[in-house]
Formats: sequence, structure tokens, C-alpha cells
Amino acid sequence: MSSIVYVHSGGVNNPERSATPIYLATTAAAMDVEVGIYFTVNGPTLLKKGVAETLIVPKYDGHGAPLRRFIDQALDMGVKFYVCQPSLDLHGLTRDDLIDEVQMIGGAAFNDMCLEADAVISF
Amino acid sequence: MADAPTHDQVLDAKGLLCPMPIVKLAKFMREMTPAQVVLLEATDPGAIPDVAAWSRNTKNPVIHQETEGKVMRFWIQKA
Repeated sequence: MSSIVYVHSGGVNNPERSATPIYLATTAAAMDVEVGIYFTVNGPTLLKKGVAETLIVPKYDGHGAPLRRFIDQALDMGVKFYVCQPSLDLHGLTRDDLIDEVQMIGGAAFNDMCLEADAVISF
Repeated sequence: MADAPTHDQVLDAKGLLCPMPIVKLAKFMREMTPAQVVLLEATDPGAIPDVAAWSRNTKNPVIHQETEGKVMRFWIQKA
């Protein structure tokens, strides 16, 4: 099975950057690719409980959808979500502040995942 | 053009935009049995390369396709 790691560094202050890695990861999972998204830098702010329900992914016509819809599609297709502690510390977040589906990993596990993957795509 | 093959099910993805046609197709195919054929109808402008890429990666072959105006139809056999 092929595998892709997406690195998502965008956060709540850039809603227009919030959904694209999640769409692409969902599509990869639909192609039977094993896929994970590593939320780092500002990425974990998207995963704080309650945030994605109200964060609207903008559209030119004004009819954007909440980020939560795209997160749910990704999880439903089997995409794995990862964070590491330093990027939580950056925002004063703890594991318990985040949605339940997130897995904590460290830098070594992240690097290992990248070395094992067929592609690493960074946003 | 060759006649369209028979199909077992229809998946209407008209009006859906990337990535939803592919996501719906993937979920739909998981419920089908091998050798069954789904007729996918889509209007997403990227559907032709997207369905081809999906098919190549998942090994479910596109056995026939047609375009009529903005509607693209794909006959896809479950591997």
C-alpha cells in the first residue's frame, strides 16, 4: 500500500489555508493510500474542541462550509491525525483540549513516518 | 463508439465538486461485490483525470466512458 504524509502548519488565523490539506488527504484515502496529516506550528489550533464547528472555510460566493465537515470526511475515510507536544505548547493547548481522534507523536515518530512514506507534502 | 456495457448500480455525483465524486465513489465501491459494474455520472471538470488516477491506484478498471455536454459517465468494474 502506498502512503502519504501531509504536513499542515496553517491555523485558525488563515481559514483559507485550513481545508486544502484535509481535502487532499481525504482524496488520497479514497485512492486506497495510507494517509496521515501531521498538524504542526499553527495546525493544532484547528483541532481544538469546538473550533472547527465555527471556522468557516471561505468561498468566493460567501457560501463556505464549516471546517468540521471536512475533518469528519477525512476521519470517515480513515485519515489519521497527528500532533506533537511542542506545537501544542506554542498555543497553550493540551491533549485534552483537542478533538478525540488526534494521536500524539514525537519528532522521531514523525521523521520515521516520513522516511517510510512514498510522499511527504507540506502546507 | 462502442456501446455502453451493462451496469449493476448508478452513482449520481453530478453537481459535486472535488474531492467528493472520488470520495463517494470509493465508499460506494467498498459496498459492491467483485465484477459488479457501477455507472458513475459526474460534472466536476476534473473528473476524467481524477477517475483515471483513482482507477489506476485502486485497480478497479474503467471499462467504458462517455461525455455528453458537461456530464461525464464512467463504467467502473469492481476488481
